Amino acid sequence: MQTGTPSRKTMTLNLTEAEMQALDELSATKDISKTAVLRQALRLYQMIEVRIARGEKLFFEHDTTKQKAELMVL
Amino acid sequence: MSTRSTVHLHDRKAERLVEATLVDGITRAEAEKAEAEWKPYLEEQVKRMEAEGVPKDRWPQHRHWDWRQKQEAADAYLAYRMFGIECQSQMQGLMLVLTAGKDCRIESQKGKPMAYVHFLAAAPWNLATVAPDPRFSLVGSILVATAINLSIEEEFQGRIGLHSLPQADEWYRNSCGMTDLGRDHAVHDLRYFEMTPEQASEFLK
Repeated sequence: MQTGTPSRKTMTLNLTEAEMQALDELSATKDISKTAVLRQALRLYQMIEVRIARGEKLFFEHDTTKQKAELMVL
Repeated sequence: MSTRSTVHLHDRKAERLVEATLVDGITRAEAEKAEAEWKPYLEEQVKRMEAEGVPKDRWPQHRHWDWRQKQEAADAYLAYRMFGIECQSQMQGLMLVLTAGKDCRIESQKGKPMAYVHFLAAAPWNLATVAPDPRFSLVGSILVATAINLSIEEEFQGRIGLHSLPQADEWYRNSCGMTDLGRDHAVHDLRYFEMTPEQASEFLK
């Protein structure tokens, strides 16, 4: 029961040293390749964009204090 | 765009395996057709249960799920993948999986990404708890295996997680071998289950 892996395209990405370092760190922490990190980031970004376009807001809530802070997206 | 591959379900009546199709990328038309077939059957069985005096806690707990709405909602997002198993021109099971933004809670995998099974259901006529004469088995197992394969494909090493309805707790715990992390007050007090790469590998054997 293989899932149907969508066909993929390749691109070159230009990152600053700081951005590359962040990508390296995320890749190590999450134990996935840099490509997989960027794929995750794109999916989340696209999800946020769709919901903001629908008039929703994105908040972070502190686990114990329950204090909410709005995340500013571009 | 959807892709199709061959899987096998167990026909309970004929006592043999039959060919079925795993659909990756359920279309709106397929979700509408499934909903149009599942809903009347479910309603009929709930009426029967009511007439027979079956206690309400044994009625199918997912009877309010609307797969047409779920497909429509998920279709807008790259992060969602919807799968189905088709056999004898009918949808025998459906599953919606989230592939971004969910990390493991279990200590050995804490913070590592996983595929989150948002919804999974076999067609009501396949459920022994609903149908007097259930038709196919293996639907749930194939869908869980599909979620694991998706997790592997996404480099999550087979890690999956889900919130279970009470009627399915035992199946996820004992048949799938997932770890029960207890009730999650943030999600309707449902029990939360996770599968580690080792458990996933064991399940796929």
